[in-house]
Amino acid sequence: MSWDSFVWFALGAVLLWGAGAFFAWKDRKAGVYACTLVGLAVFFSFILGLWISLERPPLQTLGETRLWYSFFLPLAGVIVYGRWRYKWILSFSTLLSLVFICVNLFKPGIHSKSLMPALQSPWFVPHVIVYMFSYALLGAATLMAVYMLIRKDRTTEQEISLTDNLVYVGLAFLSFGMLFGALWAKVAWGAYWSWDPKETWAAASWLCYLLYLHWRKARPGKWKGACVILLLSFVCLQICWWGINFLPSARGLSVHTY
Amino acid sequence: MTWTKPWNSKEGFLIGGGLLLVGLLLQLVAGPIDWSLLARPVNLILLVLFLAVVGGMYSLRNRVYAFEWMMHAGAAVPCLTYAAALTILMGLFPQLHSGGVPWLSRMLHFWPFVLIWAWLVEISALAALNHLLRWKLREIPFILNHAGVALAVTAATLGNADVQTLRMTVFAGQAGWRALDEAGMTVEAGVGIELHRFIMEEYPDHTPRRFASDVTVHTKEGKRVTGTVEVNRPMRADGWKIYQYGYDVTRGPESDCSEFLLVRDPWLPWVYAGIFMMLAGSLCLMLLMAPKPLKT
Repeated sequence: MSWDSFVWFALGAVLLWGAGAFFAWKDRKAGVYACTLVGLAVFFSFILGLWISLERPPLQTLGETRLWYSFFLPLAGVIVYGRWRYKWILSFSTLLSLVFICVNLFKPGIHSKSLMPALQSPWFVPHVIVYMFSYALLGAATLMAVYMLIRKDRTTEQEISLTDNLVYVGLAFLSFGMLFGALWAKVAWGAYWSWDPKETWAAASWLCYLLYLHWRKARPGKWKGACVILLLSFVCLQICWWGINFLPSARGLSVHTY
Repeated sequence: MTWTKPWNSKEGFLIGGGLLLVGLLLQLVAGPIDWSLLARPVNLILLVLFLAVVGGMYSLRNRVYAFEWMMHAGAAVPCLTYAAALTILMGLFPQLHSGGVPWLSRMLHFWPFVLIWAWLVEISALAALNHLLRWKLREIPFILNHAGVALAVTAATLGNADVQTLRMTVFAGQAGWRALDEAGMTVEAGVGIELHRFIMEEYPDHTPRRFASDVTVHTKEGKRVTGTVEVNRPMRADGWKIYQYGYDVTRGPESDCSEFLLVRDPWLPWVYAGIFMMLAGSLCLMLLMAPKPLKT
């Protein structure tokens, strides 16, 4: 199995995931689980085939890690659906997965890109994947905050509670990403936390989402303030993810420049 | 303005403002914080003091309203606001050993930053203790998260001065015991390293693929451990962790020497305990504490 056959597996999987997402809107649970799980099986069979033909786990290049995101997103989506029954979650995860699949299809040159020794670690994939998943959930929470601030007093209890849910799960994954990063840093660099600019912004984002959580507990009626906190938190998150590449304070100082 | 109970966040913002003021005065009077002063036994004394303050506040909670208030989310809001704001400032200003912006370019030595974080740890510990002593099964996630943060940050901060970080360069076929400490002084390391071979593999485009060293580590008791030190695969011996750090870059794969980083951190198990509590707490947050499923 090589990357040449990827397009067919990806097409089959995305169609099945799309069908699963469609059934979620129609409240047909059997269809949701059947289509999503068969789609995951189709996609995983490509990963497995690639694994066998490469004679090593496909975790090394950036293209290969994107393969795993594309697989984990619908998997996480179906788990969240099973737990909370959000109709939109599978549409969202399928769309996001499709983005990563398209990057792999249209940028084939990056498959050969070599991975520097510091990144060759079993921590690499979980560290990045949980961060990506958390960014996706917190991005959705930000959209909800914008929506609620625009609609003002027409906002319902359910919308507020949905936003809380997204932040709870998003923050849990954000914490996983940060703590996995600390455990990895100890193994790779000998220090679990160095206040590298990326780490400083990760801590700032984490504190902002914690502020949202405690604000909601302390003053449940003041949800507009909570929405503003979410917008500011998301700005911190973006600076942490890619913004620090443009910040003079981080230039040349961060070890997180790959 | 009438002062009424219950307190909410306004009082917390005042307390935080007071801490900033005290911090600025300390900065002016005592100068930047010198973390090396916290080396054992000072850090142990501070730990006992910290635990006494937490325990004392907890036992006086019914008599002093402020201590009772500190255990609740309303007190966390202003504290997290100050902590986030100062951490954002730290991210905006380049952190340098010298030069840059006074105070803000050395945030880790800036009293207000450290006092606000200490306050954060203090109220986390207090909230954790409060929930621990009113023991209920469903309080476990709360306890894990708050005690985890308090433990990890306390152990990391107090233990920092006890961390030994050394750099040692060894030539192939030789054994080294001497290393450079962080200040660049030559010291005798707790372990000796005998380098058999430095290995550097490259990709076809000559970017590095693997750095490794075949070594035998000698401990002071005369034990020997033979193995390979590699990037992302440190070796352990006698409480030390040995990391692949560098090589003779002018000779690349032909380098006949290898540079190692030796780290010893006696407080690490406590930091890890805190990190694992936070991981377990996050898992609970995700699975148990999110509000009930919605009917849309």
